[in-house]
Amino acid sequence: MSELKVSNLRREFGDVVALEDMSFDVAEGEYFCLLGPSSSGKTTTLRAIAGLEELSNGRVEFGGKNVTTAPVQGRGMSMIFQTFALYPHMTVRANLAHPLIRDGQDSSTVKKRVEEVAELLRVTHTLNRKTTTLSGGEQQRVAIGRAIVRQPKLLLLDEPLTNLDAKLRHEMRAEFKRLHRELGMTMLYATPDQLEALTMGERVGVIQDGKVVAVGTPRDLYQMPEDLYVAQMVGSPPINFLETTASADNQVSLPFLPGPVAAQGVGSGQPVTLGLRPHDIELAQDGSSRSARFKAKIHLTEPLGDVTVIDVETQNATMKMVLREEVAARFSVGQDIEVAFDPSDLHVFDSNTGSRLGPGASQ
Amino acid sequence: MARKYREIGKAGWGYTAITTVVGLIYFFPVLWIILTAFKTRTDALAVPPKLFFTPTFDNFVSVFYRSSITTGTSQATDMALYFFNSIFIAGVSVTAALIVGTLAAYAFSRYPLRGNDTYLFIILTTRMLPPIVVIIPIFLMFRLSGLAGSYWGIILLYTAFNIPFSVWLVKSFFDELNPEIEDAARMDGASERRVFFRFCIPQILAGLSATFVFGLILTWNEFLFALLLTGVETRTVPVAMARTMGGEVGVDYGLLAAIVTLFLIPIFFVTFLLQNQLLRGVTFGTVKK
Repeated sequence: MSELKVSNLRREFGDVVALEDMSFDVAEGEYFCLLGPSSSGKTTTLRAIAGLEELSNGRVEFGGKNVTTAPVQGRGMSMIFQTFALYPHMTVRANLAHPLIRDGQDSSTVKKRVEEVAELLRVTHTLNRKTTTLSGGEQQRVAIGRAIVRQPKLLLLDEPLTNLDAKLRHEMRAEFKRLHRELGMTMLYATPDQLEALTMGERVGVIQDGKVVAVGTPRDLYQMPEDLYVAQMVGSPPINFLETTASADNQVSLPFLPGPVAAQGVGSGQPVTLGLRPHDIELAQDGSSRSARFKAKIHLTEPLGDVTVIDVETQNATMKMVLREEVAARFSVGQDIEVAFDPSDLHVFDSNTGSRLGPGASQ
Repeated sequence: MARKYREIGKAGWGYTAITTVVGLIYFFPVLWIILTAFKTRTDALAVPPKLFFTPTFDNFVSVFYRSSITTGTSQATDMALYFFNSIFIAGVSVTAALIVGTLAAYAFSRYPLRGNDTYLFIILTTRMLPPIVVIIPIFLMFRLSGLAGSYWGIILLYTAFNIPFSVWLVKSFFDELNPEIEDAARMDGASERRVFFRFCIPQILAGLSATFVFGLILTWNEFLFALLLTGVETRTVPVAMARTMGGEVGVDYGLLAAIVTLFLIPIFFVTFLLQNQLLRGVTFGTVKK
């Protein structure tokens, strides 16, 4: 049964449509990520679910009840804000205690719960300090603590890692997964970062211009993206796109390949966009299943430590590929390289509609 | 040998010296008045002015008790009442304006109306008129309505005069706050009233103090309206001061300086008390939250 059901949300700010037709379901205990670029409506969606935003249309059901117009107070949800939104005039202890006090818990319960949560999030040493004196990571953990202290049924997270440095982000990603496992609450997590969405979400909803355009597990979205937008939102480094026209039914040719390659679902003469993941391109090897081989020139290298992202240039196409560091070390910028991919790894999209063709297409 | 670097954020001696000199130039008139308050009539009028003299408290005594020239007996003056009037009138009207202004500012900031800026502008226009222009109609209105000479009349007027200033200033403080903090409080279960009193107000206390002090200084020193709209019983110190000039023995500079010195004390005291808050108030929003 779905715990949270969001249907057809619409919200306008003057002439700007923030939410156009936002619909999705979140199951009980699920970790659901909303992935979308900035100003695509993620924050507005979370705020609408929390009751902080007035809607011009739509319906929010939570725990089987329609809460669309219910007051903010007492919805049984908590939210972690992008700015953390800690109460600057209060101590950490008072921050953590506030939701419980408002719930009318007695002081001994409040004290016990606050200490439990502080322990869980390792902020016990800060309890008597003002929140303004905390480091970024501590502030973040206090914000999480305040959101989970009353054990809400639904936790809304609005880009909670955006204001943290890379190392902390990495730690906190693991922390969120741990909390989800230990506390078992439903979590709705909004982020512009595909890495966060893919690593944490059990399911991911991809947002474009105020509506959800695709929902699926991270694996599905990565391996069978429904359209061009989803394909470029998911995956790092981003997918390579190649524009071409189908040379015959179920066949496309690329200028840098000697012969046509198979592409299921295309009709002759149809303009198509081919998507090729950087991880699916490798160095050409004899006897490899990667039968489409071509020569290219190295344009740019970005060493990431364990792997190196290489931009290769061939007849009017630039593509990214990923090589292990020790392999990449043999090459330098400007050098020629022979690379290969397996035509079955190609994602084929209709250039006009952007939707997927061939295996996994929705039609 | 390692060169000694000046601590970052700490001014060197040169800057400190320049600032001290500029500060002294600013403070000089105040210092002059305070010194004059301790001078005898002869010392006060001496040419060239005396920097070193035997101080006397006679001027301060004669602020409150003055011997009559004709009978030679000591008589209490009304100055104590005027000091009370100044404190009472300025205190009540600035506080009232701050309360009304804060409520209005919160509404303007959080629940903007259609044409919000126009309303704010209209509120400010009342302060654009030179007081001298409105003094005659106001005087007539006060006389007809019986407000002239009463405490409530002058308090009402000062409150009305302070409100635009309070609304504008306090609104800017509310605008600086992170609205997500209020949303977080709401989600925790705080009512709207609680959000305002327990979450917004505590965050802008510094700003409210600054607004209070600025309003207080303006009202405390106001002369024109006080002159025309207060009566014998409700006269404020600036008006009383003006009346000590002239009289049967010419201007008694020592006495005048003594009144001014006493007049400075309350405002000095309030400013000093709120000093820390004030500094934060005037620099509000200039530093990263």
